[in-house]
Amino acid sequence: MPDERAGWPAGFASGPRNRRALLILSALRGLSPRKLLELARREGTAESCLSRVIAGRAGSDADTEFARGADAGAMMAALDDCGARFIAAEDPEYPPGLHNLSDPPAALFARGRSMSPHDLRVSVVGARSCSALGREVAKEMGKGLVRAGVVVVSGAARGIDTAAHVGALEATGDGTGSTLAVLGSGIDVDYPRSSASVLRDIAHRGTVLSEYAPGVPAEPFRFPARNRIIAGVARAVVIVEGADGSGSLITAEHALDLGREVFALPGAVNNPLARAPLSIIRDGATMIRSAEDLLADLGLESDRRAAILGQLNLVEDAVLRHLEGPTLPDLVARELGCDIGDVMGILLGLEMKGLVRSLGGRFEQTNLAASSS
Amino acid sequence: MYGKVIGVAVIGVRGHPVAVEAHIGRGLPALCLTGLPGASVQDARERVRPAVESSGLEWPLRRVVVNLSPVTIRKDGPGLDLPIAMGVLAASGQLPAALLERYAFAGELSLKGTLMPTPGILAVALAAQRKGLEGVVVPQANATEAALVERLNVIGAPSLSAVVGFLRGEWKPEPVVAALSEGPAVRRVDLSEVRGQGQARRALEVAAAGGHNLLFMGSPGAGKTMLARRLPTVLPALSREEALEVTQLHSIAGLLGESGLISVRPFRAPHHSVSMAGLLGGGSGFLRPGEASLAHNGVLFLDELNEFRRDAIEGLRQPLEDGRVVVTRAAGAVEFPARFTLVAAANPCPCGFDGDVRRRCDCLDHRKLAYRQKLSGPLLDRMDIRLNVPRLSPADLLDESPGECSDVVRDRVEEARDIQRRRWSDLGYRCNSDPPGPLIRNMCGLSDDAQELLGRAAEALSLTGRGFDRALKVARTVADLQGSDRVTSGHLAEALSYRSSDKETVRAG
Repeated sequence: MPDERAGWPAGFASGPRNRRALLILSALRGLSPRKLLELARREGTAESCLSRVIAGRAGSDADTEFARGADAGAMMAALDDCGARFIAAEDPEYPPGLHNLSDPPAALFARGRSMSPHDLRVSVVGARSCSALGREVAKEMGKGLVRAGVVVVSGAARGIDTAAHVGALEATGDGTGSTLAVLGSGIDVDYPRSSASVLRDIAHRGTVLSEYAPGVPAEPFRFPARNRIIAGVARAVVIVEGADGSGSLITAEHALDLGREVFALPGAVNNPLARAPLSIIRDGATMIRSAEDLLADLGLESDRRAAILGQLNLVEDAVLRHLEGPTLPDLVARELGCDIGDVMGILLGLEMKGLVRSLGGRFEQTNLAASSS
Repeated sequence: MYGKVIGVAVIGVRGHPVAVEAHIGRGLPALCLTGLPGASVQDARERVRPAVESSGLEWPLRRVVVNLSPVTIRKDGPGLDLPIAMGVLAASGQLPAALLERYAFAGELSLKGTLMPTPGILAVALAAQRKGLEGVVVPQANATEAALVERLNVIGAPSLSAVVGFLRGEWKPEPVVAALSEGPAVRRVDLSEVRGQGQARRALEVAAAGGHNLLFMGSPGAGKTMLARRLPTVLPALSREEALEVTQLHSIAGLLGESGLISVRPFRAPHHSVSMAGLLGGGSGFLRPGEASLAHNGVLFLDELNEFRRDAIEGLRQPLEDGRVVVTRAAGAVEFPARFTLVAAANPCPCGFDGDVRRRCDCLDHRKLAYRQKLSGPLLDRMDIRLNVPRLSPADLLDESPGECSDVVRDRVEEARDIQRRRWSDLGYRCNSDPPGPLIRNMCGLSDDAQELLGRAAEALSLTGRGFDRALKVARTVADLQGSDRVTSGHLAEALSYRSSDKETVRAG
């Protein structure tokens, strides 16, 4: 995707000197990503951009003063202190989807698990003051997606965001599924305070991401900017609940601009929290009822099936093959020459994997298992 | 003129020796009973005189007072007819005193003077033995029952005149042999008669091995009753003490007939219209043991669990917890033992065909839900094993060979019980179903892979705390059946497969 990377000139941050310069540039408050991008296109490398700022010919006066006194080494040490790392736009960990933005961040800060270019990410966003039901739905959504190996992205805000993260964390295991929180504040700033413990968990078992250097406070204008990253890193965006004028709509618009798929969970027409999802459904977003719907629409079910079926051992596989149509466990035990107790145990394992269901004492393959054979 | 003989009043399952004193004094001819006689003993007043006269003996035509001592306990039951008659005969000088003090007397009299079969004779004999008496005089029909008590001379008499003849040394009773009969005409059933249903057969084995209560869910005709009826045949054989307990309870309920010791485990299947008194014991006057106590050391089977009265079901909580029933009356509390394995059967939905492959269920969802809500509750929490029993078609049974017979299964069950005895006896429990949850969590010896499976299952099957403990108990039993020290993931997986019935049909429906 060379043309996608056209945003940042090639070699903009290559070499230690440019990286140090980029670190300083990314801490400048007067130089928005868009302005920095314009500057970069003219100057070519981070180092020369920084020298323009130091010369007072780019950025605000405060930026110039900051850049003159800045010590990249100290900033690097500060990053290390909060366990964060620095990711430039041309690094392999930089999510490729962000290159689609008109104003991609020049650099990102991350804590926790490293992002892979193969990660499949889905953003789950919604109201901060959500309903208990919405919270439940978001949690289940988070769980379902992670089980299918998806990375669940959200903004660590109160309400739906946190619920999605929590659900995702509950299901996080050895698989590729995990969760990613994108902050609207400095990488080491827990905002809102109430999310501090969830963020600690995410930094431990998932990834925390921000385009802001350590210490940058949360400010209202940073959240819409953060939303473009939530939309950009993901392959699809799901809106769970939102009132009129919800921030989720901004995320959805970003997603549509970027050509991402947008999904929404509906609600009753007279429910104020269903306004945002219903309005984007009317605008053409896809209505879904659960994580299963979403996985089916993204065509992920077959991957998941292959992954699950691939893990079965020989006996499990043999048992599963005997279950086309409702079958008595006795019959399976007889055909395989196993003890009925062992067969019951194997059936339970298959049931937990979602491959088998019990129907009044008989067992049969679920759709998940059946469509493969 | 004064006479005294020993009778026995049966309260609950226990016999209490009663001194029956008679005094014949001046006054109009009458029989006056004192000493807290219950309604059924008051009855004896009118019965005793004709019985005495029909036997060719003389009734004193004076005022007769009979006192039952101690006067503090209420005496009930028909067994006091004979001692009252004997007391009067002793007071009127018609009997030699020699044997009177060394025997206890019990039995119901007819107007002709014959001794009728009487409930509770085993309890009478046990009380006589405890009191250190030489023997008991009981109706002939109950002699085998009384003979179960060791070191006791049992006189089985056909009538009042025979009893008098015995005391006078004119009549010799036939010696009574303790019979180890199988109890009232049981047709032996066997597990091998069940075709197919391997899963349910296995569940019976596990339930028998660990003393677990069992719930069968399934359509009408699936064979739930047939399966439940075979649980007693795979339970360990009754010990002599247990057999005596069972016989005593059946004797008090008047269900023993002429048989002696009951040596097979009882199976009781009360109809769902049973009242609380019928299920737990009680009744006016003479307190009878209920179905729960008649199932003591055996199996209590509740078919159509949902149709039972709520209060009766709630009442089962005490026996399930303590192994006994306490019936409280104004006159005091009476205790009956009631330690049984509970087997319940229920349809999966009001029409019964939810989840059936060959018949459609046409219940509305909300009715199905209401049905299930009624089914859940405190009793369900005590069902360690829950199983769906499918209705089988002839095609399902085509290649099915006959399964193992009960004796083979019972041998494995007894071995597993031995292991459990060694594990729990210090703590005062009998088998894996007895100990409370926290204890089983510490003692069940989960292997690492089982621990890991449990973690995943808790999430995937949304196990509750109680469900968790139930699975551990059953897993421990499955491991014991295999003689394994550790509970492996295979054992645990099988145990977890016995929990599903409450959830899945809702999902499928």
